[in-house]
Amino acid sequence: MESFGDSVKLMLFVYALAAVVSFTVAWVIKLIFAGIQRQKARAEAGANVPAEAADEPAKAASETAA
Amino acid sequence: MPEIELLQIFQGIATMVASEPTIVAARIALIVLGITFVYLGVKGTLEPLIMIPMGFGMSSVNAGVLFLSANTMGTLFIDPTVSDPLKLMEVLQIDFLQPIYTFTFSNGLIACLIFMGIGVISDIGYMLISPFRCMTIAIMAELGTLLTFPIAVALGLPYNEAAAIAMVGSADAPMVLYTSLLLAKDLFVPITIVAYLYLSLAYAGYPYLVRVMVPKALRGIKMEQKTVPNISRAEKITFAVITSTLLCLLFPVAAPLFMSFFLGIIIRESGVKQFVEFIGGPVLYGATFFLGLLLGVLFEAATILNPKVILLLILGITALLLSGVGGIIGGYIVYWTSGRTFNPVIGIAGVSCLPTTAKVAQKEVHKANKFAIILPWAMGASISGVISSAIIAGIYVTLLR
Repeated sequence: MESFGDSVKLMLFVYALAAVVSFTVAWVIKLIFAGIQRQKARAEAGANVPAEAADEPAKAASETAA
Repeated sequence: MPEIELLQIFQGIATMVASEPTIVAARIALIVLGITFVYLGVKGTLEPLIMIPMGFGMSSVNAGVLFLSANTMGTLFIDPTVSDPLKLMEVLQIDFLQPIYTFTFSNGLIACLIFMGIGVISDIGYMLISPFRCMTIAIMAELGTLLTFPIAVALGLPYNEAAAIAMVGSADAPMVLYTSLLLAKDLFVPITIVAYLYLSLAYAGYPYLVRVMVPKALRGIKMEQKTVPNISRAEKITFAVITSTLLCLLFPVAAPLFMSFFLGIIIRESGVKQFVEFIGGPVLYGATFFLGLLLGVLFEAATILNPKVILLLILGITALLLSGVGGIIGGYIVYWTSGRTFNPVIGIAGVSCLPTTAKVAQKEVHKANKFAIILPWAMGASISGVISSAIIAGIYVTLLR
């Protein structure tokens, strides 16, 4: 027959392990989000640079005309 | 004309006459119980999707006992005890539900199909709103799954059977079926029936627990809707692929469950309408129907005469009650840590009876405050509960099989 004391120890071990793994999953979610957000920000910054570069000759032309 | 004995024609009655009084009483009790389940299922008191096929199967199998030979009685429904390949081949051609049992039940396929269907109907975006809060609630809502284990051991059950019945606290019936098939094959029928019976009652019982544990002022807390981020399909699929791979790597014994659940999510997010409709419709409801029917058919008189059934009934309700209490405590923990902006009722949704407990939470909150909407957070907690239950099932099975 299995002992009650051992079952309590086993329960605590299972609970602790389950909590660690569950929070690891939550952390993975945060990590994925952070990665995707960073990639989005980088892509937006990349898209803004050519737009600014395209604006510069137009600005220069308007200044010359003025 | 040959001499005819009436009892030879009406063999259902003849087998009752030839059986021991306890078996006769158990058969009659199960026929009545089966009819009651059908009635309560049709009425809506118990979950009709499970209770109608289960109750009908139960009453039919206990009525339809016949003489298979001069000394043996049985049915033409199913024989779960056959293991010899030659005998199995024979039974597969005689018992009409045997093919479904052999090829989908005893290997856990039916539980995986239901899990796939649950994945298809789950919007994981709810969980991604606030993963740490959802997981805190989900882990606390496993209190029954954990505490029932030593209680069951103290009441005399061996570790494997204690873990199998403790899984009722996860409130996830396919998970209970899968775990009990692996840990306590002799008890998987009563354990799964206990799980489904109590889960049907959870919808009626949990609102009272919420009202007892959460005062009306807190039940009416409005959640801030602006904080819900826009989550793309790509993000959801990335999460599903990475998490499933990680969990399969950690707990290969529960890998079929993880794979099925996350595959359902990926199919949903991939937007292939035909697959979504197929898995969320015929597969999910077909598997649920046959699960109910087979559980009913497996519930023969000998099952109810097992003295452990009473113990399982007590432990099952203990597990669900403790999980509900734990979930609400989890809700309170998040309430305190969030600066009292989080509605603690969401805690009950951590008990992963998807989507029942989330609906219970929203219903109770709506009664306290007509303008409070907590369903997205409750669904997030429920989905986290499914994941944490599968993790605990994986640990139990790995350690105790």
